[in-house]
Amino acid sequence: MIPKKEEQNTANVKAASSKSTTKKYLKPLEPAQRKSKSNNKNATGYLFISPFLLGFFTLTIFPILYSLYLSFTDYDLMGTPNWIGLDNYVRMFTNDPTFWKSMEVTFFYAGVAVPIRLVFALLVAMALNKIVEMVGIYRTLLYLPSVVGGSIAVSIMWRQLFGNEGAFNSILSTLGLPTHSWLGDPDTAIWTLIVLYGWQFGSSMLIFLAGLRNIPKTYYEASSVDGAGPVKQFFIITIPLLTPVILFNTIMQVIQGFMAFTPSFVVTNGGPVNSTLLYVLYMYQRAFEYFDMGYASAMAWVMLIIIAIFTAVIFKSSPHWVHYESENK
Amino acid sequence: MKKSLLLGFLMVLALIIFLSACSESDEAAGEGGSDSDNAEVGDQVTLRMTWWGSQSRHDQTQEIIKKFEEENPDINIEAEFTGFDGYFEKMAAQAAGNNLPDIMQQNFGEYLNQYADKGLLADLSEYVESGEIDVEGVSDTVMESGVKDGKLLGIPTGTNALAAFYNTDMLEEAGADIPDESWTWEDYLAIAEQVHEQTGEYGTRLMEPKNLFEYYLREKGEKLFNEDGTDLGYENDQLLEDYFTMNKKMVEAEIAPGYDTIQQIKGVEDELIVHGKAPFDFRWSNQATALTSAAGDRNLEMTLLPGSNNVEGMYLKPAMLWSVSENSEHKEEAVRFIDFFTNSIEVYKIGGSDRGVPIKEEIRNEMAADLSETDKKVFDYIELVTENSSPIDSNFPPESSEILAALEEVDELVMYGELTPEEGAKQFREKATSVLNR
Repeated sequence: MIPKKEEQNTANVKAASSKSTTKKYLKPLEPAQRKSKSNNKNATGYLFISPFLLGFFTLTIFPILYSLYLSFTDYDLMGTPNWIGLDNYVRMFTNDPTFWKSMEVTFFYAGVAVPIRLVFALLVAMALNKIVEMVGIYRTLLYLPSVVGGSIAVSIMWRQLFGNEGAFNSILSTLGLPTHSWLGDPDTAIWTLIVLYGWQFGSSMLIFLAGLRNIPKTYYEASSVDGAGPVKQFFIITIPLLTPVILFNTIMQVIQGFMAFTPSFVVTNGGPVNSTLLYVLYMYQRAFEYFDMGYASAMAWVMLIIIAIFTAVIFKSSPHWVHYESENK
Repeated sequence: MKKSLLLGFLMVLALIIFLSACSESDEAAGEGGSDSDNAEVGDQVTLRMTWWGSQSRHDQTQEIIKKFEEENPDINIEAEFTGFDGYFEKMAAQAAGNNLPDIMQQNFGEYLNQYADKGLLADLSEYVESGEIDVEGVSDTVMESGVKDGKLLGIPTGTNALAAFYNTDMLEEAGADIPDESWTWEDYLAIAEQVHEQTGEYGTRLMEPKNLFEYYLREKGEKLFNEDGTDLGYENDQLLEDYFTMNKKMVEAEIAPGYDTIQQIKGVEDELIVHGKAPFDFRWSNQATALTSAAGDRNLEMTLLPGSNNVEGMYLKPAMLWSVSENSEHKEEAVRFIDFFTNSIEVYKIGGSDRGVPIKEEIRNEMAADLSETDKKVFDYIELVTENSSPIDSNFPPESSEILAALEEVDELVMYGELTPEEGAKQFREKATSVLNR
């Protein structure tokens, strides 16, 4: 049923325009031939969403554009902003070692934590896919960390867990293993944050699970008749058919990974020796601790560009590895 | 069509305003209901007031506010309070929104200077001259600490000084000398080593450099910042190098814990001295009560910080200041609270020395009779410091919070062994100059 619908869509889009292959799935189709009498109806529609529109323009679009303006000023939260051109950007790239340190930390964090979370989420989703009874309970339990995960409470719990006299060290010492100052050691502190990120795999897991459910059982049956074992099935059926979901999850998680703030703010506050100083945390410090709002705004825009580049690269590369069933590839 | 669109928007807008008005009036009614026992809601002036502190300070301050409201039924104070972490971030956001509270607990040094620089605080001189704030008999040096660029921007809440806290039980157990005000850095190191060898516990706590390095410099006759706050005040990097080396040696010999342990401390309750794990701690004298009550039956005493020249190094500091924001619409009423806080014995009966030793002598004398044991120690200590100290430095540039953060960062790098003390001293100078020259 689903492939059929997609074929229809494809046909429509092809008739309407010849946009590039990736874009056609992003752009919603225009309702056919409503234009003539649509004015009135559109107005009603806009009315219905006007509470959203009001909020969107005053609370989202305006601050975004204003921060772009501030990034070219020396705004310090209290005085009036003075235009200083590109000074903030120049200073960032030439005269701020902490900026580079935070960049390094963030790339390491996102580079390690995102794949860990994705792999973990996929493994758990596959396990859940096999379970027949009481799926609801397991799913809820496993999703729970993601619901509470972004919160301050969990970060505080994490701090206790990995503290010198925390639960983790007590377990180690009862097992007769050497304990370690996990949060105090610059080499291990970032790993506690990575584990925290990986542990909140719930939402990607749910999406993977939905993707897995969409793979027809018949493929597996057919392949097992042909003599394929579970490992082979995983690589020739599951992974290829799951690539659209993987694409989606990767993009979402990369964005989230670069924007992580709460864990480093609460668990380690950037320390020890800036080993967990994530980019957004440094931005926050610049803005609210050193009253360097113009500079922080510039940092926000640099991060926006970085995330945009990453997203674009992933998108551009997707035709080479993402497999859509409806295409005859 | 356009009309209906416009009409629709208006209706939505009206709805939003109506809803927000509803919730606001609910709030107002709720508050009025609880506080309007003996006053008409209409005449009441509502002041916003903010402070930072520990839980005990929050409780005490709310009690003080209640007392004030009883005596001044026409004023209603809305309190906002947090811990020190986050307080100035929150205030910065409020300042940006032109929404600073009427009464604000302010900090001496880099913060006061920053707010002064931006003209955010009201000049209180006229209220002092007119007697609306009665500071009769308060010493000029104390009042001076609230003055910046000729304007009186804050009234000190009380007097404070750095203090060396020590645990007599632990020192006696180790057979070590009990320090007195003439002890030197060598004595300090020797006692720490002895305690560590005799008891197996730490001989001292690794101190953060934020206040201590400034003291160290003063004790050597130098300053952290130069006269006009445009550069570091000391020339010779050897000073910082020696300071780092002293701490580094203790950490390496395990006489003092490393930062991995120090970072686990999230409040006074976690301090090593409180748990009998180290005999020393250097901190502000107004924290004596919090420290002592957390320490249970351990005997904590306090004396001047070490150094043969510690009279040069020690200074009295206003524990905090009460400031009124420039944009306040009720300056007169705000000033009445500050006057109440400064002159009412009730305040200090509730709060003790939590906001420092009272600045007025009458209050001090009146309190002397029924002081708690710890408060008595603090009062005596402040008297000792008054006789053995030099004026405080107030030449902190607005960038100093960033420079002190850089000092802490370099200190961590050195203690973790990523930099040698020599490299650390050099790097701190580079960072500080680059921030100051920006």
